Amino acid sequence: MKMIKKINSYEILFVIPALGYMLIFVGYPIIYNIVLSFQDTTLMNIGSASKEFVGLENYKNIFSSPLIFITLKNTLFYTVMCLIIQFSLGFLMALFFNLKFRISGFLRGIIIISWMMPTIATALVFKFMLSETGIVNNYLMILGLIKEPILWISNQDTAMWGLIIANSWVGIPFNMLLLSTGLSNVPDSIIESAKIDGAVAWQRLIFIVVPMIKPAILSVLVLGFVYTFKVFDLVFTMTAGGPVNSTEVLSTYSYLLSFKYYYFSQGASVANILAIFLIIVSFIYVRLTSKEEVGE
Amino acid sequence: MKLRKELVREIILSIIGILITIIFLFPLLIIFFSSLKTESEIFSSAMTLLPKKIDFSSYIDQFVNFNIMRSFLNSFIIALFSTMLSLILSIPASYGLARFNVPFKKSILLVFLLTQLLPTSLILTPLFIMFTKLKIINSYLGPILSTATISIPFTILIMRTIFIKAPKELEEAGKIDGCTMWQIFLKIFLPISKPGLITSASFSFIMAWNDLIFSMTFNNNENLRPMTAGIYNFMSVYGTQWNRIMAYAVLLVLPVVIIFILLQKYIVGGLLEGSVKG
Repeated sequence: MKMIKKINSYEILFVIPALGYMLIFVGYPIIYNIVLSFQDTTLMNIGSASKEFVGLENYKNIFSSPLIFITLKNTLFYTVMCLIIQFSLGFLMALFFNLKFRISGFLRGIIIISWMMPTIATALVFKFMLSETGIVNNYLMILGLIKEPILWISNQDTAMWGLIIANSWVGIPFNMLLLSTGLSNVPDSIIESAKIDGAVAWQRLIFIVVPMIKPAILSVLVLGFVYTFKVFDLVFTMTAGGPVNSTEVLSTYSYLLSFKYYYFSQGASVANILAIFLIIVSFIYVRLTSKEEVGE
Repeated sequence: MKLRKELVREIILSIIGILITIIFLFPLLIIFFSSLKTESEIFSSAMTLLPKKIDFSSYIDQFVNFNIMRSFLNSFIIALFSTMLSLILSIPASYGLARFNVPFKKSILLVFLLTQLLPTSLILTPLFIMFTKLKIINSYLGPILSTATISIPFTILIMRTIFIKAPKELEEAGKIDGCTMWQIFLKIFLPISKPGLITSASFSFIMAWNDLIFSMTFNNNENLRPMTAGIYNFMSVYGTQWNRIMAYAVLLVLPVVIIFILLQKYIVGGLLEGSVKG
């Protein structure tokens, strides 16, 4: 008995450094962020030892301003639109690249690069392409689809769409890759027998393929939700929440409060509100993946 | 006859595939070609893809007047140390979580999984206050320590899958040869998990290389600024000089593209194992 205990305590040494690191640099900050949201910490009193606890005052203040509701609505709109676009285009591309031809794997791999790029590079190039004299307006005018250039980024009504387009470009490869892995696991024999039974292409897709890759579909949707909902870099660098708050999302709002106005506690409160949404969705994801995982 | 039909199908699909890829990667082409345009062409009229005249002045300008190599070096230092830190901590952990009956294993794994899904905003302010108190604001340390928190869970999840898949016989063979637990780990399991190590290292490096928010928040010192923060700053000061911005962007994206091309098969595989981005 003693022996087993000894071995166990030795084994845990493998895990402790990483776990300890994460507890110090992620765990503690998360708790600190909760404490912070109940305090009144600003640039003025950040150095002093004692900070006033104000209870729910920060949350009350945040919800008494209409900006939080605009921000919530923007975040949700952005997330849902990105999910729809990146999922449908990602799925179409996954279907195409799953047709068996020699360079399909290679091309599919190359497309992933947009997902790996530094977000600021993506933000800049889309800002450039969507600018007044940019290539998007130029082509749309040549095609006769528009008469006047659209002020994609600097107009309140279209700025959000500029962000959605840019983010979908990043998200499509990720959806494509996960979905095409799901697709490649669908056995050919099932498709063949459906063909023999007279099912046409769209019927095979809706009634056979989609149910079979349901786990992959749920994964990309949940992960896509999480990554899109917590977006920061892209919005911050493309529009910084503007014009007139039309693209302000929870993460940029939190940053604005903390690092522009130095209302650290209010910034922390907004970050907590963002986290609550993500924790709920993350738990759904964990439930889904732990069901799939084998060899536990 | 059948062979010929196959060949035609192959060619048509390849052409469509290449076209889709080119259209999709159009923004990358824009970055590259715009960096070769002259300032007057960038300003003049509606934009086209190809430059009318190839011009390297944006690059020369970045190297001579804006000291881009300094930022490049800063990015490199931050990404390299962040990668090393992340690998040193997470590889033993992933091994432990794969091969041993560590107490609270499920909960620990859940913690690592969930940290990947949390927003940066949640830890940003606390880390800023922490780093201010530790007096490591305006150093490389802040970005290194904070970007490692993104790559550690990622590496643990990837490497753990690989260590689980490794055959159990290896462990027994090591024991028979009289190896200690650490020797079995270092001499037997590490060498066979090379593909996973390459994936983890390249992901960790790219994640740290791409970081903007931590570097921007924890560092105001221009001399220590990485490329991401550098280009952000350049953008706010020289906002309309798109050819220069794009020359900067080419140098920012280049290492990512090179790593990607060299290690494509590992990266695509790793993406599926980890299916995450920080």
